[in-house]
Amino acid sequence: MKRIPGFTVKKIAGQNVAFPLGNASKEFHGTIKLNGSGLFIWEQLENDTTEENIVLAMLDEYEIDRATAEADVAKFIGVLRNAGLLIE
Amino acid sequence: MFNIKLAGLIVTVNNKYPQLERFCRDYICHGGTPDFSVSVTDEELDAERRASEKTLGKPASPAYAESVCVYRCICRRLPEYNAFLFHASVVECDGNAYAFAAKSGTGKSTHTALWLKHFGSRARIINGDKPIFRLVDGVFRAYGTPWCGKEGYNVNSDSPLTALCFLERGEKNEIKKIKSGDAVMRIFPQILMPADEKNADLLFSLLDRALTALPCFVLKCTISDEAVTVAYNAMLKGNNKI
Repeated sequence: MKRIPGFTVKKIAGQNVAFPLGNASKEFHGTIKLNGSGLFIWEQLENDTTEENIVLAMLDEYEIDRATAEADVAKFIGVLRNAGLLIE
Repeated sequence: MFNIKLAGLIVTVNNKYPQLERFCRDYICHGGTPDFSVSVTDEELDAERRASEKTLGKPASPAYAESVCVYRCICRRLPEYNAFLFHASVVECDGNAYAFAAKSGTGKSTHTALWLKHFGSRARIINGDKPIFRLVDGVFRAYGTPWCGKEGYNVNSDSPLTALCFLERGEKNEIKKIKSGDAVMRIFPQILMPADEKNADLLFSLLDRALTALPCFVLKCTISDEAVTVAYNAMLKGNNKI
């Protein structure tokens, strides 16, 4: 799986926010707030990957246990999937 | 073709329909060097007419569609000049501007109209719907423009912004100050999202500065005189701790 292309991430008042530019903005209206691990998972999804690979990358990056990483990844991917932002 | 002065910028408008020049009559400017020019293609006009059919139930007139498209073109250029569109009703009182943003139909115009009733000649609406905010000499100012919502409230003038307020309907009147980070997701529906990376960088650095400079509030209110005093008292002392 990976993200649909055409998005950019900007930081404003300490918050990372993703939104579409150009043609992508015709398909998707709105913005996605990327909290701590959200930004990390978002970046992992730039190229084709799997949920398991993202969990492994999370465990590498953050000092968290596997259950927490799996829950964070599943939750965030669920948000992107519901918004129609994943290619699977 | 005609020139208008908006937020201190001279803009050449290459119009197709004469209605637009009449619409902009209070802002027409003669002389001076234009900062930039805008024109709308037939494709953009057609797309706007089709889009408006979904909300209006019928296609907008070509002249109306041109007006919408021209303002969008102008607003896309604004971040290059430290300015941006902010969808809000801005009321000035005693020389300071207060911006009220809300989802369409919530009643931001109704609320700012209550300010006029309460403060009389001390207050006026700078722009009832689509003001331009511009950073000038370190101060964010709100500007009137001809594009101002169906009530037509606008003045060809400007005023320094004191605070931003996100308005919601409530059972009683209460206001709270929110952190700038908590205002971030609330401002996106009020702005014209950038079309390219360069525009996005300019706009977001401006918005970052605006959220640092301006205190933000959430007002839950009824349609009442008390709603005005609750909002005014909190926003006037906008620098109170959160």
